[in-house]
Amino acid sequence: MSSKTGKPIMRSAAWRISLLATLAFACGTMLVFVFLHRFVAEDIQRRSDAWLSGEIDVLRDVAERTPKDALYGAVVGEVAELASKEVPYKIRSDDSPNDTVFFLQTGEDGAIKLWVGAGNGEVNLKAIKAAKILPDRPNDLSVSGFGIPYRVASIPVDDGSRIYLGLSERDQMRVLRNLRLRFVVMWLVLVLLVFGIVFYTTRRMLSHVRRITEAASRIGRSDLNTRVPTSKKNDEVAHLALTLNRMLDRIESSMHQLHTITDSLAHDLRSPLTAIRGKLEISLSTIQGEQTESIVSAIEELDRLTDFLNKSLDVAEAKADALRLSRSEIDLNELLLSMIALYEPSMSEKGLEIKLRSRGPLKIVADASLIHRMIANLFDNELKHLPAGSTVTINLVLKDEMAALILEDDGPGFAPGVRLHMFERRVKGKESKGHGLGLAFVEAVACAHDGEVTASNRQEGGAHIEVSLPVAPAEAIK
Amino acid sequence: MRLLLVEDEEDIQGFLRHSLEEAGYEVDIAADAKTAESLAIENVFDILIVDLGLPDLDGISLILRLRQLGVGAPVLILSARRSVDDRVRGLEQGGDDYLTKPFALAELLARLRNLLKRNIPSAGEPTRLKVLDLELDLLRREATRSGRVLQLSPQEFVLLEYLCRNAGRVVTRSMILDHVWGMRIEPDTNVVDVHIYRLRGKVDGEGQQPLIKTLRGMGYVLKDR
Repeated sequence: MSSKTGKPIMRSAAWRISLLATLAFACGTMLVFVFLHRFVAEDIQRRSDAWLSGEIDVLRDVAERTPKDALYGAVVGEVAELASKEVPYKIRSDDSPNDTVFFLQTGEDGAIKLWVGAGNGEVNLKAIKAAKILPDRPNDLSVSGFGIPYRVASIPVDDGSRIYLGLSERDQMRVLRNLRLRFVVMWLVLVLLVFGIVFYTTRRMLSHVRRITEAASRIGRSDLNTRVPTSKKNDEVAHLALTLNRMLDRIESSMHQLHTITDSLAHDLRSPLTAIRGKLEISLSTIQGEQTESIVSAIEELDRLTDFLNKSLDVAEAKADALRLSRSEIDLNELLLSMIALYEPSMSEKGLEIKLRSRGPLKIVADASLIHRMIANLFDNELKHLPAGSTVTINLVLKDEMAALILEDDGPGFAPGVRLHMFERRVKGKESKGHGLGLAFVEAVACAHDGEVTASNRQEGGAHIEVSLPVAPAEAIK
Repeated sequence: MRLLLVEDEEDIQGFLRHSLEEAGYEVDIAADAKTAESLAIENVFDILIVDLGLPDLDGISLILRLRQLGVGAPVLILSARRSVDDRVRGLEQGGDDYLTKPFALAELLARLRNLLKRNIPSAGEPTRLKVLDLELDLLRREATRSGRVLQLSPQEFVLLEYLCRNAGRVVTRSMILDHVWGMRIEPDTNVVDVHIYRLRGKVDGEGQQPLIKTLRGMGYVLKDR
């Protein structure tokens, strides 16, 4: 689960997926809430309108029936006061004269006849006149001095006067505000929760994919026993892992078959070679005289045949990515020094000069025996093909985190025909006495170690061969 | 020295028995793992030669089985494959050795001697080697022939020391490469020969008896008689 790759979380696929999913969820829930809110608001308004209509009818009845005497104002006022106590959605039940409801009766002249409510009603009347309240259904009315609008119903009374009943929308607004507030809090919590859950699950799932990728990339040329991790779930990821493993099974089995074939070929050829060589050696130690010459040359031929067989099998296995490596740490600098110590006398005998320009110790993790043979091959190549007086320069450098072993000479270089195919088996120059496996073997070994070989002719003349091999992990850090 | 040879190829059995007996070993032969196991339990062997490609069981499994049964003698593994796998590497680290077929008899014998030497606690390394009139002072890294000091490079001294330690016995080119340069390679050029020629030029002065002798098709020998 750790982000070993060093990639910031924000750039992971899990982060993107959870962001998108959370965004979709947030928008969806918000939309649902908007509809719900509208529905609730309309319902609240319908109820207050129903209340207003009912109450105003009652008030009209009372106003019409009550005799227009001194008590008229008191009676109607009392009824209006009572009505204000039954306001729907009233949250606070304080005894203080509230401004939730107002009752206004105007005379025929339009002046205030009776007022129940906060203040003296002048502002309300002014607002009513300005807004032109429709008679048949309640309307919104903003009164200056009150932040919250009123819902006002009006009805004419028989005596020519007019009754207005106003209900402040404060309480219903408070209900709606509470609803909104609670929703937003819950919505935020939910969105965070959803983000968390989606992030956790996708990350878990993707980390499984990542583990598969890591395992798959670890399964290299020589290590085919490992399998990618599988899970018991029956999802796409598990399916991917199973499919990969099945593919690896097939590759391993064909690799195994290849090994069996090369092994049995090696065995079937080497056993008689061993027997022949042994018998020749025994006869060489018993026979004296002229016959020894033919036995000696037979042994030498046999050794050449063995060498050819060895290299052929190595090249064949390497071409099929099936070379079995047993890796250890090798210092290329040290190896080159002892290799040069080995080859120097032969080279100077032939009039060749060999120079090493090295950056100092440079470690690689590789199959020692293969690397030894590879370098010996390169040196043998120079020794066999260079004319006297030539110089071989060996450079050992660190290049793009790869150990680069560069061989340069000032000899004739590669013949044009050979150059294109020189890494193929059996390709050799016309003058060459070898069996044409040299460079193919060098390339095979380099490839088996995830490296590569390039060969070209230098502009100044002479050959340029460059072998690059991955350096040991500790070396790469430096 | 009693030796058990586990090898199924009759041809190889034949010449190996011949040369091993000539070298002074008392040789028992098993053609399969089963016979080898019963022979190894009934008798005590000083050393074993085991071929990896046996008909009934692979050589490594046989060696591990024998080890479990308490057979402690060192083993020389004969392998038809060049790239040795990790199990062979493991045995090699455990004190055993391996040799790839085909091999030179001289190398087989040298490896057997090495294995036996490893098993016997050495009574102190000698500090001087003497072969006829050639003397090597291993502490001062100095070689003299009939009292004349030889001007040798450090590497030439190591080469001469190796020849002296095997005086009278054939050493092959691959043995020299393995012991002096620490490499198991088969150059198809004359690199080892040139080293020997140079060394011979320094060791065998004019009028002196040539000590370093080339045996064509086999290798070199430092004469001790």
